[in-house]
Amino acid sequence: MSGLPDLSLSIGGIQLKNPIMPASGTFGYGQEYEDYIDLNQLGAIIVKTITLKSKMGSHPHRSTEVSAGFLASIGLQNIGIHRFVEEKLPYFETVDSLLIVSIGGESVEEYVKLAKILDRQKRVDALEINISCPNVHQGGMHFGTDPVATKDIVTRVRDVTDKTLIVKLTPLVTDIRLFATLSQQCGADGVSLINGLPGMAVDIRTTRSRLGRNVSGGLVGPAIKPFALYLVRQVYESIDIPVIGIGGISSPEDAIEFFIVGASAIEIGTWNFVNPNIMIEVINGIQDYMMSNNIQELSQLIGTFS
Amino acid sequence: MEYQVIENINISLTYYKLALRIPSNAKLPLPGQFYTVRCGETKEPLLRRPFSMHRLDKKGEAVHLEILYRVVGKGTDWLSRRKIGEKVDAIGPLGNGFLFQEDVPNVILVARGIGLAPLYGVAESVHMRNQEAGIFILMGAQTDERLFYEKECSKIGRAFFYTDDGSKGFQGNGPQLLRHLMASEQLPQRLYMYACGPSHMLRDLANISEKFDLPGQVALEEHMGCGLGVCLSCVCPLRADSIRREQHWKKPSLHWSADGSRVYSLICKDGPVYDIREVEWDEWLA
Repeated sequence: MSGLPDLSLSIGGIQLKNPIMPASGTFGYGQEYEDYIDLNQLGAIIVKTITLKSKMGSHPHRSTEVSAGFLASIGLQNIGIHRFVEEKLPYFETVDSLLIVSIGGESVEEYVKLAKILDRQKRVDALEINISCPNVHQGGMHFGTDPVATKDIVTRVRDVTDKTLIVKLTPLVTDIRLFATLSQQCGADGVSLINGLPGMAVDIRTTRSRLGRNVSGGLVGPAIKPFALYLVRQVYESIDIPVIGIGGISSPEDAIEFFIVGASAIEIGTWNFVNPNIMIEVINGIQDYMMSNNIQELSQLIGTFS
Repeated sequence: MEYQVIENINISLTYYKLALRIPSNAKLPLPGQFYTVRCGETKEPLLRRPFSMHRLDKKGEAVHLEILYRVVGKGTDWLSRRKIGEKVDAIGPLGNGFLFQEDVPNVILVARGIGLAPLYGVAESVHMRNQEAGIFILMGAQTDERLFYEKECSKIGRAFFYTDDGSKGFQGNGPQLLRHLMASEQLPQRLYMYACGPSHMLRDLANISEKFDLPGQVALEEHMGCGLGVCLSCVCPLRADSIRREQHWKKPSLHWSADGSRVYSLICKDGPVYDIREVEWDEWLA
């Protein structure tokens, strides 16, 4: 076999040099990690979900650790689309990786407005539509669990932009295949899953939540990986567009499991906090695996579950 | 980055002191700054744990970072079992350190339990800058048995101890002891306070600070996801009026509400040290 294996892939109209990206909300606006990882080596960078107006987010005491997981209620704290475009976007002119912007709204109109604004930004390569945040009172998961809202948002965002669209799905539905299929029918170029699961942790001395007044949060990290794998396999078998796997990936082996059940790409979240260089280590580990198994192209690995 | 363990000893009960050799190409920390340390090799515990710098120990060319910690769970238990020569994975120094007031002749440090960890380095720094500076240390715990570093405290300054049950020193808490010392004129007039300990204690000290015009700084503790300013877990509510009035520290992560009435700061980036009067204590403790 000559040279390194080919890790590139296409999602809609964009070509990623490899299938490794940070999960939205675990990588800030990218620049925060520049001292810890080579941003140019990533398949794409997905930034923290942006909303139309800035959001204060949840009350203080937003996170706690649980068994092999991280429970957090951030509540989509962010600086809003206008400051994002003015203050954060210019930095990406210096970064040689694709940029995917995660968008969140409290109404269908807000998603449309966000998509219109971002459609005008050349540096933005794709949008990830977050209809699955477990920690906001309006929008978020409420849209992702409602087929009518999902259909409406994806259709109307598709109408206003030609950029690659990825729909980030919530696991908190009876049949996730319905939402994946709807996303595809309405023009999505890919789906990503899973967002965090709602969860709680209680301080038995005070009988209060370990997240204070926030009460509950989104459970992420290695604890959710088996569930994520299960859902990725279901979705892969029901749609034709690429599936991006997310959920507790902490090693090349974890990522390869996701490819085998049908993910075309993966996002790494919590483990960026544990090891800021993990994404590079996963890219290298996937290459090693492919070479030792004589796999030349990533596509030969995807969906090989037997 | 990998740091070599130079020393890891049990001080008393569950309190330990860890010394790590700082690689020659690494930045040196300031009192109040912290490191996040990977406390295990598996997925539980999962996240890095933040530890403040206790003090720096300069041994010729080598500089050792000392961390004081209390074993409270699986992560710190794992850390307590690291042996000399082993490596631990630490990221830092992170956050902002304490600011030193050049024109203040006397400092008072108020600590409870492991809150002493970052304050001891403050005492050393103050002493190094001004050997004439008066250093007063109020150190306490639940009981005499749970007190530690009494000798060290007495060596670096004038130490007063307090315990909840009165088994050593003043019976009561740190803020009560501070009020007592002020009322009985055992402290000089021009004082600057540095404090670290439970949030309720810091809030009570903030009230004293307001009432008696005693300025100071606090180091806050909070659960952190990343320590790098991306997960946005460790927000601290600050007083919008005080932030507009004076800003001592560079605070790159301030996040304002649309109407400008509320402001959140990230403890890992803008803190963990804050002016005692800029924290919105009621919201922090709610």
